[in-house]
Amino acid sequence: MSATSTPREILDGARRGTAPGVSGPSRPSASRSSARPAGVEVRAEGWTFQHADRPAPALEDLDLHLAPGEKVLLAGPSGAGKSTLLHGLAGVLHDEDAVSAGTLRLDGAAPDAARGRAGLMQQDPESQVVLSRIGDDVAFAAENLAVEREQIWERVREVLAAVGLGPGAEDADETALLLDHPTAELSGGQKQRLALAGILAMRPGLLLLDEPTANLDPAGVAQVRDAVLAAAAATGATLVVVEHRLGVWAEHCDTLVVLEAGGGVRRRVDAARVAEDEPLREELAAMGLWVPDRPPQLPTWSPRRGVADDGPAGAADETLLSAAGLAVGRTAPRRARGEGRRRGRGPGRRRRPRAGSAPRPVLEGVDLTLRRGRALGLTGRNGAGKSTLLLSLAGLLPRHGGRLVAGTGLISGSGDAGAAAGRERLGEDPGSWRAADLVARLGMVFQEPEHQFVRSTVREELALGAHQARRPGTSEPLFTAEQVEARVAELLERLRLTELAEANPFTLSGGEKRRLSVGTVLSAGPAVLLLDEPTFGQDAHTFAELVRLLREHLDAGGALIAVTHDVAFLQALDAEELRLGEEPASPERREDADAEPAAGSTVPMLSGVRSESALGRRGAPAKLAAVLLVTVALVATMDWVSSAVVIVAGLLLVPAAELRLGQFLKRLWPFAVGAVVAVWGTAVAAEASGEMLLDLGFTTVSAGSLELGAAMGARALAIVIPSVLVFSTTDPTDLADGLAQQLRLPARFVLGALAAMRLLGLLAQHWTTIGHARRARGIGAHGGFVARVGATASQAFGLLVQAIRIATRLAVTMESRGFGAGPRTWARPARTDAADVGLILGGLALAALATAVSILVGAWNPVW
Amino acid sequence: MSSTAASTSASTTIQGARTARWSVSDIVVASTLAVAAGVIFWGWNLSYQVVGGLFAAYPPAATIVHGMWLFPGVLGALVIRKPGAAIYCELVAAVVSALLGSQWGLTVLSSGFVQGLGAELVVMAFLYRRFTLDVAVLAGALSGFFGGATYHWVIPMYAYAPLETVVHIGCFALSGAIIAGALMWAATRGLAATSVLGPLASRRAHREPVVGAGAGR
Repeated sequence: MSATSTPREILDGARRGTAPGVSGPSRPSASRSSARPAGVEVRAEGWTFQHADRPAPALEDLDLHLAPGEKVLLAGPSGAGKSTLLHGLAGVLHDEDAVSAGTLRLDGAAPDAARGRAGLMQQDPESQVVLSRIGDDVAFAAENLAVEREQIWERVREVLAAVGLGPGAEDADETALLLDHPTAELSGGQKQRLALAGILAMRPGLLLLDEPTANLDPAGVAQVRDAVLAAAAATGATLVVVEHRLGVWAEHCDTLVVLEAGGGVRRRVDAARVAEDEPLREELAAMGLWVPDRPPQLPTWSPRRGVADDGPAGAADETLLSAAGLAVGRTAPRRARGEGRRRGRGPGRRRRPRAGSAPRPVLEGVDLTLRRGRALGLTGRNGAGKSTLLLSLAGLLPRHGGRLVAGTGLISGSGDAGAAAGRERLGEDPGSWRAADLVARLGMVFQEPEHQFVRSTVREELALGAHQARRPGTSEPLFTAEQVEARVAELLERLRLTELAEANPFTLSGGEKRRLSVGTVLSAGPAVLLLDEPTFGQDAHTFAELVRLLREHLDAGGALIAVTHDVAFLQALDAEELRLGEEPASPERREDADAEPAAGSTVPMLSGVRSESALGRRGAPAKLAAVLLVTVALVATMDWVSSAVVIVAGLLLVPAAELRLGQFLKRLWPFAVGAVVAVWGTAVAAEASGEMLLDLGFTTVSAGSLELGAAMGARALAIVIPSVLVFSTTDPTDLADGLAQQLRLPARFVLGALAAMRLLGLLAQHWTTIGHARRARGIGAHGGFVARVGATASQAFGLLVQAIRIATRLAVTMESRGFGAGPRTWARPARTDAADVGLILGGLALAALATAVSILVGAWNPVW
Repeated sequence: MSSTAASTSASTTIQGARTARWSVSDIVVASTLAVAAGVIFWGWNLSYQVVGGLFAAYPPAATIVHGMWLFPGVLGALVIRKPGAAIYCELVAAVVSALLGSQWGLTVLSSGFVQGLGAELVVMAFLYRRFTLDVAVLAGALSGFFGGATYHWVIPMYAYAPLETVVHIGCFALSGAIIAGALMWAATRGLAATSVLGPLASRRAHREPVVGAGAGR
């Protein structure tokens, strides 16, 4: 690949690269040093910002000066306006109805006038990715700043190498990735490094990081931090990082700035003092920050296991839950046809598991025993299937094999009345229990607290579990109304949420949400708690609160299993550790273990892999135009002849799309069913004519209406076939490029829609998880049709909340990368070539042919 | 909006300066709502196999549940509150459903546009200033009416007798009024109460009156 390659050739070359990492030599170009951006000088004078509808300013009267190239660790208690300050510096704060005062300047300019000078990385890796391929994602920011096309790809390769992701990266810790590697396949740490690359492509002088490693496992934390520090050193950029785990950054930063809640700067000291200045360390710890080598203060605790006999029921040290040879998977096992259908995969080429291939377990042979008063930690590398195991233990996913046995103490459940009945009526396999029985026995705490919230106040949220619990085998409530009320009052007290009893759960702070999510599960008094990464992203205060709550649970004779990376958490609960996925898994499993089989991965066009077929290489607008022409010819008439012509032509074109016939038919069959429905609908509801075939009393089917119905059915099928062909071979990014560049649709809207489209797979995952969380809480558990509709509506609402949250963060990401500011360039030109013109003419010819044949045989029946 | 900051001379309150121009948040949230609608359609399509079967005896009445396909437009209008939001959301949702595979092929583009237009015209008639229950119900109803009318007279997808046509369109409008209108109005208030609408013009939706002229911003 020579330096004169066009971007398209570079991409093509990268795509065909036979082995990862050999698609091009690394080119530490001379231009890098000449284009080295100097650090930005930051100056805030009396800066105040109050978000719309908030009672108090996030920051008030802030005076702060940061020298060019200064590396600043920004800390403060929750609610001190740290994120607001970073957003302000990134130029993305412009709420309507907000109040601001004072000035904030980057090198003397207002932040929104200094577009591209500052780059912002947020906490959630998912919302830091804009596009579906890594090359395009990095190029996005450069395009927004209207960088010349030739320079964009040079920058992309340079910054990808700089963050250790690109071809030829010197310190690539894993296989270097190709430019069209799907972003969806990156780990959280890789996504954050990709975000860093996207920021560096703007050549910024100010790097703003908002808890960039809070959602990462320890390995990811180190990778991201090292990449950031290397980038700051190489570019001389000023660095501001917000982080409550001070140890990650303190020794690498020059300055520690501590903000006052609702005020300005409280301290500005040498960052080295975090390690030695004891009063300072004390003060920082009191704010809930994680101070290096100073674990959160926890009361001494001696587990009461083996001694306590005053627990809810049963003997101490009794086994509550045990598993033998457990095999688990995200997708329910298919019993009838399994192994035989599995196909071998071609060597060398990595393929996604095809939709329809038998689901297999991600984790097999798990043995575990959980006793009263004990905590068990599930640890292991990302993607080992820990969360899948947890969901299976919670009775929310069907098992693939092995045994799961509940001890009598667990079967008895909570509540005096339930106990006796429980022993009689419940089997020993939790997988066979109703949600109304599970809720009082096994409580699942999800990683994202919001997934569990279903009510509009904290009080109702806490009452729900107790309210949903039923006596085993009956529909009688487990708790009386008075008991529910008493439990809620007690929980509010324990969780220290009494003041917030009437607040909307979604409006709580991160730590309050975490406490509430544990409380919702404690509501029905389950003996076993299952927690997924409960301490992720939490400050030290919340950590201590959580440990306190869980110790109480253990002391009361309960037990818990937690998926976690947090060693301090396991130590605080004196937990045993079960390491999973130690043996090297096949590469395929490594990626897919905990991933949902989401819509995105089963729909070829959303998988991030371009179709290489004859049809796939055509420009998207040309394809659309061709289909549009054919569709117009079809909808203009109601006859079966023109439809038949199009159906035949469509089937002949299947090879051009390189779809296997089976694949094609599989995608088509729902529409074939739809066509039959159309036949029936018209046959029943159209004006009767000709011979009466069927009289249903209130309506009739006549020969005429049946013929018309057949024409409508054929037409429905004819309309859908060309669009299935085209959409199966069209990449959304190419479609967006075509719509914006060739059809000149507004770029902001086209790219906004494209970025949202990438979220489809993520939203489908949220949909599934929210469904699990609803079931875990007993929603729609005992119900007929109405309860099911209610549960679906609740699930849809939960999805909308998450969608808007993610979108809001994504909007910040996009805007901080210069999106929407002004004219942009396009890294990949979309042009109409001769073959595209041929395709459009082909569409025109087919439309004409269908109409002509129909007219010739006298079947043409215009609708207007 | 009174605070110590607001009283200083240097303070700027950007109140009332609401423009018709879409912010980046507006665009991305609207797009994402539309894509989320695509995901909900995906779940809904599975249920529809069953629900639709209930109407096999009298297919024209099936539109009584078709309001489900109209909700992105009205929801977009209620949440984003900018000109074009209803059309944009309904259209993008239609495109997403087409990408995932829609039995209507490319004609979803015209249906999406027309259904969105129905909702858009209503909020436009209220100058994008009122988003109360009555407005939402009207928007849902007109969206359904436009959708039904298109299927019969503009790009005919049905060939029903006159009575069946009236039932078909009437049920569509009624369903739109209830599912896309009233339900989405309630959903918007619910969303506002969770505070996720912070960056959007609808952030105070849960504190607005249910109906009436005093509901303008």
